[in-house]
Amino acid sequence: MVSADRPGRSWWPRGRSRRLFRPRQGTRLRLHGRNIYILPTGFGCLWLTGAGVLQLVGIQQQSNGPLFISFLLLGLFVLALHLTAINLQGLELACGQPAAGFAGEPLPYPLQIRSRYRRYQVELSFEPTPRAWGPLQARNLGQGSVIEPGDQWLAIPWSASRRGLQRPGTLRVRSTAPLGLFRCWSLWQPEVAQLVYPARRPGPVLERSSSPLGQDSEAAAPGVASGAGDWSDLRPHRVEEGVARLAWKSLARGRGAHSKVFDAPAPQACWLSLHPGIAREQALENLCERLCRVSAAGLPFGLVLAEQTVPPGLGPRHRDRCLAVLAQLP
Amino acid sequence: MRRVRRLLWLGLGLLGLQLPGLDMGLPLSWGAIALVVLGGLKLREARRAAELRRMSLLLLVATGVLAALLPGLGPSVLQLLTALVALAALLAQELGDGLLPGQLLGRSFKLLAAALPLVLVLFLLLPRLGPVFTVPQNQTARTGLSDRIEPGAIASLVAIDAPAVRIAFEASQAPVEAERYWRVVVLNRFDGFRWERDAPALPPLSTPLPPTTGRDELWLAEPSRLPLLPWSGRGQPLQSELRIGPAGELINDRPAGERRGYALGATGQPAAWQTSPPSPEALAAAMAFPTGSNPRLEALGRSWASSLPPEQRLEAARRWFLSQSFRYTLQPGSLPGPAPLDAFLFQTQEGFCEHFAAAHAALMRAAGVPQLGGGGYLDVRQSDAHAWTEVWLAEGGWQRVDPTGWVAPARVNPAMAGSSGRRPAETGLLAWLQQQWRGLDLRWTGWILGFNRQAQAALLERLLGARRGWLGVLVLAAVALSLAVTLPLLRWGQTRSGGDPLRRELERGLRRLRRLGFEPAAGEDLGGFCARVAVDRPELRTPLRRFANLYLAQRFGPPGTARQRRAARRRLGRLLPRGLAVRADRPETG
Repeated sequence: MVSADRPGRSWWPRGRSRRLFRPRQGTRLRLHGRNIYILPTGFGCLWLTGAGVLQLVGIQQQSNGPLFISFLLLGLFVLALHLTAINLQGLELACGQPAAGFAGEPLPYPLQIRSRYRRYQVELSFEPTPRAWGPLQARNLGQGSVIEPGDQWLAIPWSASRRGLQRPGTLRVRSTAPLGLFRCWSLWQPEVAQLVYPARRPGPVLERSSSPLGQDSEAAAPGVASGAGDWSDLRPHRVEEGVARLAWKSLARGRGAHSKVFDAPAPQACWLSLHPGIAREQALENLCERLCRVSAAGLPFGLVLAEQTVPPGLGPRHRDRCLAVLAQLP
Repeated sequence: MRRVRRLLWLGLGLLGLQLPGLDMGLPLSWGAIALVVLGGLKLREARRAAELRRMSLLLLVATGVLAALLPGLGPSVLQLLTALVALAALLAQELGDGLLPGQLLGRSFKLLAAALPLVLVLFLLLPRLGPVFTVPQNQTARTGLSDRIEPGAIASLVAIDAPAVRIAFEASQAPVEAERYWRVVVLNRFDGFRWERDAPALPPLSTPLPPTTGRDELWLAEPSRLPLLPWSGRGQPLQSELRIGPAGELINDRPAGERRGYALGATGQPAAWQTSPPSPEALAAAMAFPTGSNPRLEALGRSWASSLPPEQRLEAARRWFLSQSFRYTLQPGSLPGPAPLDAFLFQTQEGFCEHFAAAHAALMRAAGVPQLGGGGYLDVRQSDAHAWTEVWLAEGGWQRVDPTGWVAPARVNPAMAGSSGRRPAETGLLAWLQQQWRGLDLRWTGWILGFNRQAQAALLERLLGARRGWLGVLVLAAVALSLAVTLPLLRWGQTRSGGDPLRRELERGLRRLRRLGFEPAAGEDLGGFCARVAVDRPELRTPLRRFANLYLAQRFGPPGTARQRRAARRRLGRLLPRGLAVRADRPETG
């Protein structure tokens, strides 16, 4: 579980913070007076100090000018309290259907955000956010973190430490607009879980070229796949294929435009499984990394696990299926 | 960030503009200068958002400190602008870079305007405190009259063009120009050459004052080194801390050295200081003459005393002055001792107001007429400083006599004014504007300086009377009310200003079509939708086609100038007007 506390707030007891600022649950959240919190920022306190200094000058000099400016600072402070809250009030957030991703890497969590009018300097982030991700939020919300009126989709990055179906933790929506005197925030734990694959970590993996089960030996036999090998067939030409593969001879003989089809010998499928000599989670991470590498190289592969076997295949869908199996292993 | 820094530099520049007006004799002035200079140094290296935010606050605090030192209308306008710019810099950081500078300043202005009711409630109703501690005032750097006038002192003032006093006559007419002698100081001790002031015994504060008919004259005096304020010599001060001395000085109980605004009310009767006979001691002091200091002068005065009644001694002196060939000059050179006034009257015969007034005063005292030296201003500038004499006559009370006017009418008569006399009445648009500005400045400063603790107490008394205990409730209710009024207004502005004006026109057109029962289908573009509507409503075919084309041209075509864009949006609005439904229905119903 991700803590709602922010680092560097050791003077504030964790338990009390959790009780006071309780995150809301659910698949959607509408911000209103009951679920947003507001406190002055450090700058807000400095602002009050400035107002106090001017009061002192005004009283000491018996002069109206500093008193007026001091009251102006106070008035703006009171106004900013409301304006900052208004900047968040009425904002609606809803979970989207998150795509799967790897543990230990930034995972985009889709959120639909709906506002009736323009809002300024709204920051959304999951807690805790790795420090290095700072600029990601700004990029998500476009220039200046402005939320335009209407609906829009945002991808809020978060990072999972474990695989499986994970909820992204606590989302903090916050704003200091318009004057930076108050920090207004709301906490929400979106309920839609995101599938998290094991982290990708290079390491030893048990790799075999034949099925451990023995019977489907034909899967291991050399097959044929379209590639860059020998010319084997003709098929009707399509413009987007360009002229490189055009069968000029058959065109010259008046048989119409055809493209040459080349064959390449299909590479042999490999079977991947967990390395027995390593801790299970780490072996899973190694397998995950190898699997991605093999898939990126365009080689067919299958999975052999104690609980489950995935027959060899190719392409991103096959890869995602295998990764999902790895993610949800007990 | 660059925009924020530019705004902050602008604010700092506005503050810098006010610095030359500061009075360097006040410690707080140096504080203000230090704030501005340190602010500039900090801003040179400030890059982070938090630093720039703090700079905005620094600008606001420096503005407040300057407001204490420079309450005039001009500086106040500059201070308001500074606050506006500082706020805009703060907004620019929070609202992002999407806003134009004009929009930023507009928002900043809106925010200031929204805060204003709240500020006024606090400013007017929150009880004021007295000063926490007193600071000794440094008075050496002041210009203006002193309580010791010797020839040369006023000549140095004549070179200063700074304002000394500002006056607005509200109920009554201003006195004619020849009567404008603004009294400041009355000097009763005369040693044969220079005058000095012995502080008079003041009447107790409980002395009942004659009733006044409300505010008549509004005065604003620049800081001076005397606890005395210029006034016209008539009427009655309305502030309780101001009193009129027995010789007709307006005495200020507050420490000298700060700007004072005060009001005088008309009493409808001659001033008491002028008509009531002086005490025996005061009379004796006014007749004291150092025998033997100026023998020829003394002999002339005694010759009048032996042969003429007091009124005619005055007239004899005037005739004598006119019969001599005196010359008015600001560079008379020093008078030779041991009898300097003899030397002036009978040898050099050139000098300025102090020489003439001193010589006349000495003659009157020698002739046995009670006499006081008067010092003040002929008009509103330091260069209008002047000296004259006052003599006591049993019939008329204290009479002002200005011997300079006999010799050099130009010094006191506007028609003959030279560089060092009363200024001629200024004409022309510029002069008129200047006059209006001065009037506004006076009123503004008078109001700003006049709303002090006493005025506030009077206001609360008027508002609440005996129910002072309800003040807290009143303040809270007023704060809540002003918030309740301004917040929806601000919010409304936010809703209105948000979004894209072209999109608003599109939505408006679509709303009108929706009333006719047409709804854009999912995935349908504007052209397709308009074409579909036009199939059902052939009479709308042309406006619909134009609407779609114009919108698409505005959205995706070359942007054009702001004026062209506005015109195009107006045309869009007219293509599908509000009465669309009615007009479209008419062919069917008719």
